[in-house]
Amino acid sequence: MRTTGRAAIPAVAQDRSRRASRSNSRESFMTSIPGARPNRSARRLAVGLTALALAATACGGGGSEEGGGGGGGGDAPLATDNPQPTGEPQEGGSISVALEGETNGWLPGVTAAAAPGYNVLYAVYDTLAMQTAEGTYEPYLAESIEPNEDFTSWTVTLREGVTFHDGSPLTAEVLAQNLAIIKEPTSNLAGSLAEVTGATVVDPLTVRYDLAAPNAAFPALLTTTPGMPFSMENYNAVGKEAASAAPVGTGPFVFQEWRRDDQLTVTANESYWGTDLGLGPYLDEITFRPIPDEDSRLQSLLSGDVDAFQTLRQSIIRQAQDEAADGDIALHTFLGNNAGNSIFNTLVPPLDDPRVRRGLVHAVDQAQLIEVLGGTGISPAQTQFFSEESPYYSEEVAEAYPDYDPERAEELLQEYVDDPQRSDGLPVGSPIALEYNCQPDPSLVELSQAYQAFWSNVGVDVSLNAVDQASHIQNAIGSPATDPPFMGDYEVNCWRSGSQNDPYIVLRNEFGPVAKQPLNFTNYTSDVIDEQLKVLATTEDLETRKEAVEQIGLDLAENTPRLWTGTTVTLIGTRPEVQNVSSWQLPSGSEGIGTGLFTGGTAMWGQTWLAE
Amino acid sequence: MARLIGQKLLTLVPVLLAVSLLTYLLLNLLPGDPALLVLGPESVSAESIAAVRAELGLDRPLPVRYLAWLGAAATGDLGRSYITQQEVTGAILDRLPVTLELMVLSLTIALVLAIPLGVFSAYRAGSRFDKLVTGTTFGLLALPNFIFALLLIFFLSVRLGLFPATGWQPLSDGLVENLQSAFLPALALSVTNIAVFTRLLRTDMITTLQEDHVTLARSKGLPTWRILFRHALRPSSFSLLTVAGLQVGTLLSATVIVETIFALPGVGRLLFDAINSRDLLMVQGVVLVLAVSFVLVNFVVDLLYTFLDPRIRSGAARVRA
Repeated sequence: MRTTGRAAIPAVAQDRSRRASRSNSRESFMTSIPGARPNRSARRLAVGLTALALAATACGGGGSEEGGGGGGGGDAPLATDNPQPTGEPQEGGSISVALEGETNGWLPGVTAAAAPGYNVLYAVYDTLAMQTAEGTYEPYLAESIEPNEDFTSWTVTLREGVTFHDGSPLTAEVLAQNLAIIKEPTSNLAGSLAEVTGATVVDPLTVRYDLAAPNAAFPALLTTTPGMPFSMENYNAVGKEAASAAPVGTGPFVFQEWRRDDQLTVTANESYWGTDLGLGPYLDEITFRPIPDEDSRLQSLLSGDVDAFQTLRQSIIRQAQDEAADGDIALHTFLGNNAGNSIFNTLVPPLDDPRVRRGLVHAVDQAQLIEVLGGTGISPAQTQFFSEESPYYSEEVAEAYPDYDPERAEELLQEYVDDPQRSDGLPVGSPIALEYNCQPDPSLVELSQAYQAFWSNVGVDVSLNAVDQASHIQNAIGSPATDPPFMGDYEVNCWRSGSQNDPYIVLRNEFGPVAKQPLNFTNYTSDVIDEQLKVLATTEDLETRKEAVEQIGLDLAENTPRLWTGTTVTLIGTRPEVQNVSSWQLPSGSEGIGTGLFTGGTAMWGQTWLAE
Repeated sequence: MARLIGQKLLTLVPVLLAVSLLTYLLLNLLPGDPALLVLGPESVSAESIAAVRAELGLDRPLPVRYLAWLGAAATGDLGRSYITQQEVTGAILDRLPVTLELMVLSLTIALVLAIPLGVFSAYRAGSRFDKLVTGTTFGLLALPNFIFALLLIFFLSVRLGLFPATGWQPLSDGLVENLQSAFLPALALSVTNIAVFTRLLRTDMITTLQEDHVTLARSKGLPTWRILFRHALRPSSFSLLTVAGLQVGTLLSATVIVETIFALPGVGRLLFDAINSRDLLMVQGVVLVLAVSFVLVNFVVDLLYTFLDPRIRSGAARVRA
C-alpha cells in the first residue's frame, strides 16, 4: 500500500481503547471495587494515609516493572470514554505538567526518554510519522512515506517550507545527516537502526532509506526518536552535549530553559508549520516538572501546583478515580498492550525445559497476582503480547495459554524431577530450585512472595532476590563475554513488556537471535517465530499479519518463555479546563492514538488548550 | 590555635582519602557495566560496548582510573557523568544552594523550637507541660521524615493551600516565594532534630540547674529568664552543639528522601537520580562532597568548643606547658 497524505502506511489497524471502551468486556474491567463511598475529606485523608503506606515505594524510584501498587480504595469507575474537548480551541494560557521523572537529555541517539520524557520530546520535535487511533501509521511531519515493492527501501518526502526553531530549513540533506549521527556506534538508536544501511538524498525534499532486509513496518520506527529531525545547524554549532541539553526541533513548542530535576520550559512556536492544519499550538507556554514521588505528583495536581500529571502506577490511578468522581480532575486513561509478566531465562536449567516453564505457569493464579498488584477491576488479565482491544489479539491463543491448574503443574514438574536426563544435572528426585528477581518495591515484594507461595505449593524451592532497577535490566541483558553473548544473568525476573508498536517490531525485538538481539531477554527462539517474522516483514495485509501473529502466539503459549499477569493502565490526569488531551489529530484529519503514544501516559501537548 | 587547626586539618586528609577510595571501589566493583546503561538495551553489542567504554575511559585498569580521578578531584574536577553528560562539579555546585538552604532552615527551625521547649521542660521538670513535651518529642522521634513530609503536603498544601506541594522557587524569584517553597521541606527535615535537641537540652539543663552557680544566681535574686538563658543554657549547650554537628550527616541523608518527595533540585535529589541510573561518577562526586561537608562541619564544631568552653583552651595550654 502506498502512503500519501491520508492513506495509511502498513495496514496494522489496532483498535484503540476509546473504541474498545464501548465493548462490554472493557466495561467489565473498569467496574470499580464495590463498597461504601466515604465522604470527600475521609477519602482525601485515606489518600494521604495510603500514601504513608506507599511512601517507601514512592521513594524507591520510578514505576515498578509490574506497574502495580498497593491497592487503595475508590469506587468511582475509571473513565471508559476519555473526556472529549468542549467548544472551539482557545489560544493562550500556560500550563504545568508533572512528569514521572527526569530524562538524561533531549537529542535523538542520546536521550533515554521513557513515557515522561516523550511528553517533552513530542512538544519540541515532530515525528515523520504518527500512529492513528486505528493503529495505522500515517505521515505527520513528512508529506508522504512510500515503500518499494519488497519493502527494502522507503522514500520519505518532506513538506515544503518547514523550518527548525533556529530558522534553518528542514531538508532531505538534514535527514541524511541526522541518520549518520544516530547510527553512530555510541548512539542508543544504533540497534534499532541497524537494518538501515543508509539514506540517499533524492532531491532537496526527498530522502530514500535503504534497508538490509524487508521491513513493512518501517514507518512505525519513525514515530519515536529515530523519526524526530533535529537541526544540524544547531548541532554543528554547539556540539552533541549542548544540542542534547537545549534541543532544536520543528515541533509546536520552542525550548526555552531546562533546570535539571526542576523544570523544563517551552513556549509556542509562532511559525509552526502545522498551525494551518489545526495542529496547534494553542498554549503560550508549558512547564514540564519531573516529580518522581508518585503521591506528591498527584497531590501537586490536587493542590493546584500543576495542571496535569501522568502515572503508570495502578494504586495512584485508583486514588485519582476518587478525585475524578467529584469532577476535580479529568482522567485520560489508556489501556494498551503493555503488561506485567515474569520472564524465564530459557537457556538456564531447569528453565530450558518447556515442561518446567509450563508447570510454573499452570501453578499460578493470575487473578490473585493482579489483586496483589492492586489491579483488580482496573487491569485485565493478559495471555499474549496483544490485549483484547488489539486486532492482533487471538482468542485461540488465549485458550491455549496455560490456565491455573496446580495438579497439572505438579504433573509436569514431577516429570522433570523424575527424568534421568533432566537438564540441571541433579539426581532424580531432587526438587527444582529457582531464584526470582524483582525490585525492592513493597508491592513487588508482595508479588514475589505470591509467586514463591504458588510455586512452593507445587514443590519448587524459590529464593527471592531484591535487585535495584539498573541491575535488574543489566542482569537481563547480560554480557558479551558469555556463550552465547547476552544470554543474561538471571533465572526468573519480574518484568513489563509490550507496546502499541507494530507486531513485527515488538516480536522481532523479543525473539531475535540471542547473540544479536539483546532485547530477547528470555532467549527464546523458534523456527515458527522466525518464519512468521518473515511474513510480518514482507506483507501489509492485515489478515495475513494477524495469522502470523497468532501462529507466534500459539508457539509462545505452548512453550511459555514468559508468564503474564495483567495489562498496565496508564493515566494522564488534568484539571478539567485542560482540553483535548487524548483527542489529537494527524495532518490528514485522522484521530491520533491518544495518550497511548510510546508506552502510554504521553500526550501531544501541542494540540491541547485551556477552556475559557 | 593556628597549630591546633593545622593538626586537625591534617587528620582530615587520610579520612577523605579513605572515603574516596572506598566509595570508588564500592561503586566500580558493583556488577554491571555503565556502557550498557549509556547504550540502552536496544543498541547493545560487543562492538558498541567497546566503543562506549573507550569513549568513557572505562577500558583502563581500575587503579589507573582511580588515580586519574583523584588527581582531577584535587583540582576540583570530579569528572563528567556517563549518563547525563554533565560536569559533576558543576552539577553539584548548581544543586548545593538548595540543599544548604534547606539544611540551614531546618536546623534553625529545630533550634528555635527545641531551645525554649527544652529549657522550660527542664525548668518545670515533671509538670504537665514537661510530660506533654516529652510525649510529643517521643512521638516525633518515631515519625520518619518522609511520613511527616507527606502529612505536611496533605494538610498544609492540599487542604489549606498555604504552601506549594512540590517545587522550588530560587531566591532570584523573590524571598517570600523562596521561603514558601522551602518551608515545608525544611520543616519535614527538622522533625527528628526538634525531638533530639529538646530531649538532650532538657536533660543537660536539669543537671545544670542543680549546680552551685545557678543556686548563687537565684540567691542574688536574678530573674528566672536571665538564670535560664544566661547562666544555665550556655553550659548546657555542649552536647547540643556536638549532636547538631553530628546531625548534619543525618540531615544530608534525609535530604535524599525529602528533596525527592518535594521534587526539589538539590544534592539529595541528584544523588537519588544518580543511584537509580547507576551514574557512578555522579554518585562518587556527591558522596565525596557530602563526606567533606560532614567532616568539615564536625571540625568546625570541635573548634567552637574552644570558644564556648574556656576550660578546653586552658586545658590545651596546660598540656603544652
